[in-house]
Amino acid sequence: MTANSTQRLRFSDYFFLSPWVITLILFWLSPIVASLFLSFTDYRLLGASYSFVGFDNFAQLFRDTTFTKAIANTFIFTIGTLPFTTCFAILLAIFLNGRLPFKTFFQSVYFFPSMVSLVVVALIFTSLYARGGYIQLLCGLVGAPYPQEGFLFSTATALAAVMAMDIWMATGYYMLLFLAALQSIPNELYEAARLDGASAWRQFRAITLPHLKPMLLFIVVLNSIKSFQIFVEVFVMTKGGPLNSTNTMVYFVYEEGLQKFNIGYGAAAANILFAVIAIVSWLELKLIKDKTA
Amino acid sequence: MTTVALKSYGKVAVAIVIALIMLLPFVYLLLGALASTFSLTGTIDLSSYRLTFANFATLFARAELYLPLVNSIAVAVIVTLGNLFFCTLCGYVLARRKFRGKGFLMVTVVLILMVPVHVVIIPLYLMTNWLGIFDSYLALILPFLVSPLGIFLMRQYISAIPPDMEDSARLEGASELTIIWRIVIPLCKPALAVLAVQTFMVNWNSFIYPFILTSSESMRTLPVALALLQGYQNIDVPQLFAASVISVLPTTLLFAAYSKKITEGIIAGALKG
Repeated sequence: MTANSTQRLRFSDYFFLSPWVITLILFWLSPIVASLFLSFTDYRLLGASYSFVGFDNFAQLFRDTTFTKAIANTFIFTIGTLPFTTCFAILLAIFLNGRLPFKTFFQSVYFFPSMVSLVVVALIFTSLYARGGYIQLLCGLVGAPYPQEGFLFSTATALAAVMAMDIWMATGYYMLLFLAALQSIPNELYEAARLDGASAWRQFRAITLPHLKPMLLFIVVLNSIKSFQIFVEVFVMTKGGPLNSTNTMVYFVYEEGLQKFNIGYGAAAANILFAVIAIVSWLELKLIKDKTA
Repeated sequence: MTTVALKSYGKVAVAIVIALIMLLPFVYLLLGALASTFSLTGTIDLSSYRLTFANFATLFARAELYLPLVNSIAVAVIVTLGNLFFCTLCGYVLARRKFRGKGFLMVTVVLILMVPVHVVIIPLYLMTNWLGIFDSYLALILPFLVSPLGIFLMRQYISAIPPDMEDSARLEGASELTIIWRIVIPLCKPALAVLAVQTFMVNWNSFIYPFILTSSESMRTLPVALALLQGYQNIDVPQLFAASVISVLPTTLLFAAYSKKITEGIIAGALKG
């Protein structure tokens, strides 16, 4: 029997592949195409008919102050969490990669928050951030100022509070990825550097950082794709409030499309988000690649 | 010698402080769930604290909480079993055969992994309506029965296994399904374990899909019920916390038992790109 005949597609293979092909068509490709199509219509769920409106939805979106606020908040959220999460994750990974008793235990503990349902974490922090809650008590203890009405009810602190929780939760996850990358660096490199009398900082700059670059690039892209889609935290903790100060792009899409059933309008907002994510990921890939080259 | 020991103590102290930062919110959750009373401000009054399981007991007496628990278990288990089966079949064909369109299928698997999923919530909602499965178990299960990550994982793993045993079985007249059941699946056990733990966790914690694909109270999963019951008039914080503890419990137990499989799955999922 030749290799070719065993590699030929068999009758049964069509059945084996069909679950993915059907899932792909029904639940992935069609929705993506439908989303594009709908964004150029004034389709409403309860409306009897719809018509093409060209770029009207998009033009209207950029005049919609709720939407522009949502875009701004989404960018603030991403720019304000990503660098912190990444830095903390690298530091923790380096910390755990050194000599430390009970290493696996600590690794598991640091990673644990990112294993838990986001809804549960958001519920815990809603209570912690509440008026008279533990975070206010903590602020009082160290003499830091805090809003009397609770962190999630003040336009000045609500978004920052959600961001802080997110950094706390996500750090362990990225730490684990960095740790895997660190463990793939050959130890001989460090030994040679030590023999040459290189300082810890120089070792980090000359050996660790270049080896972490591919993982760093990947994590920055992955983390921003995730951050741009922030929704659950907003839904559970603030419902976009107070005064839209925590409204984000996916929350806007949800409210317009699935609460008010302005399907066409919501789909247009979703497509803008899609474009933003695509452009940002592309820029990040380009920027970091150019720097390493 | 002493400086080394001191340095080591210092490191452990730092490690413990970070561990406390990571764990204290969950200690708060657990103490709250076991508290007889809870102050209105969300703090636990330690002077009058009395340990009680009453919150868990009342929880099971309330349909709006135990139905979601049953739904969550059923959906996560069925979706996990489905992924084990379908991803293996699909991964097997993609690993072993050469055919037109294979490149395209492989690309879709990787691309879908990268697509920002929240972008398609509106059309996905419309699609389940159109298929007539909105607000049913089918809506919670069908779209997730076979996952791109699972296919990717299984294809990679099967590709690394030499096909000799399959070939000889085929010469003896075994059907493809027999070959998969008797030869491929036993060899894939490590990959299947990773896939099972990963799929269960993701679907157990999943919020946005069950949230947008159902509307009635009886179809909610646990995360959806938790999110929607929060701030509700006749549910108090300790009960909500008790339900949260139940939601965290399987993840914690799985993590304690299979932390290595979980980290492997996450790293495999991350490194695929």
